[in-house]
Amino acid sequence: MKRKLSRYVAGGILTALTLSICLHAQEIKLGSKTVQVHGFGTQGFIHTNDNNWLTMKTSNIGSGAFTDAGVNMTMQVRSNLRIGGQGYDRRLGQLGDWHPQLDWALADYRFRPWLGFRGGKVKTVLGLYNDSQDVDSAHTFALLPQSVYSIDMRDATLSHIGGDVYGTIKAQRYGKFCYTGYVGDQIQSTHGGYPYLLTVHGIYINKTGGLTYGGDLRWQMPVKGLLTGVSYEENHVRNTGELNPSVALGGPNVLVPYWEQSRSQFTKQYYAEYTHGNLRVDSEYRRFWRDFTIFDGQFLALIGTHGWYQSAAYQVNKWFEFGGYYSHFGEDWIVTVPGQVEAASESDPSRHIYDKVVTARFDMYTHWYVKAEGHLMGGNAAGNNPMYPDGFYTQVNLQGIKPNTNALVVRAGFSF
Amino acid sequence: MKELSCSILLLAAASIVAVHAQAQVIVIANPGVKASEISKSDLRDVFTGNATSLPGGGNVVPILLKAGTVHEEFLQVYIGKNDTAYRAGWRSLVFSGQASMPKSMDGDAAVVEFVGHNAGALGYIGKATPHDGVKVLSIK
Repeated sequence: MKRKLSRYVAGGILTALTLSICLHAQEIKLGSKTVQVHGFGTQGFIHTNDNNWLTMKTSNIGSGAFTDAGVNMTMQVRSNLRIGGQGYDRRLGQLGDWHPQLDWALADYRFRPWLGFRGGKVKTVLGLYNDSQDVDSAHTFALLPQSVYSIDMRDATLSHIGGDVYGTIKAQRYGKFCYTGYVGDQIQSTHGGYPYLLTVHGIYINKTGGLTYGGDLRWQMPVKGLLTGVSYEENHVRNTGELNPSVALGGPNVLVPYWEQSRSQFTKQYYAEYTHGNLRVDSEYRRFWRDFTIFDGQFLALIGTHGWYQSAAYQVNKWFEFGGYYSHFGEDWIVTVPGQVEAASESDPSRHIYDKVVTARFDMYTHWYVKAEGHLMGGNAAGNNPMYPDGFYTQVNLQGIKPNTNALVVRAGFSF
Repeated sequence: MKELSCSILLLAAASIVAVHAQAQVIVIANPGVKASEISKSDLRDVFTGNATSLPGGGNVVPILLKAGTVHEEFLQVYIGKNDTAYRAGWRSLVFSGQASMPKSMDGDAAVVEFVGHNAGALGYIGKATPHDGVKVLSIK
């Protein structure tokens, strides 16, 4: 464990030193055009008093298996046409696992202020932070409120391959409306929380995703600093892979083809933000519903989650910001596989996570920052739910999952 | 009643001071930019990445200062954010694929030089800075 920790620290220092040299190399000339290059990276460490969290071995000493990085290139082809792409890689315990991805790659044409088009692999606009949830340098908190932006389930809503139409419509004294509509194929990573959760049932997903469409409408209100909005997304998800029936169904120890498919799946999100000087206050509510057939259509799974949070952050000076949030997550589910019964009341720890968080952020130099964050979590929300991960996985909690968890999260990062 | 009158007078005095503070920063544009004035709302939209053109036509490109009192005043008066929150907003757009990062210049002279030689460029400088070769946009 000590050797692993030393390797992380050494690796982090070497990376930081190397990148310090490159941090200012941001433009490349391509004929008469300029290509901008930007990048970011973070290294985190999590320690919990009880339960291993987010697929990491966080109890006992803690875990530094919490790293991500991205680099992008963009070019303004014409004044209203921009192209670009970003590569991204991460490790979050057993998730991500250093499988680099094309994060986004698109062409963006702004015809008029009220009408623009994006095509390619596009980050999905859903609530305040879905499309920027990986941009740790842009956020106060080391972990966004997990009731709405769960880091282990980010792949489920992160991006789509397709097209967006978007624009801004000014409404004179009524403020301004910004809209986004999209349709595409939501190809999810097989290294996310949901595929990982399914392995405990002997299910190994190798392809996940499907048709997705939705929209977002936000209103910059006439009251200065006040923004409200609503997002809605529907998905038609089909996951395929292999099943070992001996694990969950008492069948033979062989691998057979497996599929599951959603019959109805949607996400609704409502949000508001208020900024005044150095103060920012956010509030969001997300409702997720999934009705799908599992085990090749043999059984049904109905899962509903509702999550909301209230956060506040204050920039004290150029180098110090602090904030906090209360994150409330609850779920209800029915799975028709024999033996799967949810707890009757949401007050049971297996059906909720109530998280109280405080954060301090230090911007030490132009490109570098560090965050220290404390979490007090009541409930584990996934003790018995076989089909929806909530941060606590039985694979890394073989002694069982206790009701409450306190966590310390430290996360350092850079961007250029 | 006396206290209310005093409060009103103090508020008025503060407003006058604020107006004078605003006047220390001017917005400049490349001579090819059609507009001769710009609303606070449009200025904010351009410098926060929400707009790439001005009413009446013409794409524009914001040019920033890296730091300094002119930069701080511009952010306070026209954007309503501090520098950290402002840069975070741009990073959010750049790393989610929604915008390119605007250029940041070391000082007013560099802003004037760049704006004067690049079509569509829009920047801000101190009022006392020489600004030959660019046009000044009035704020409405």
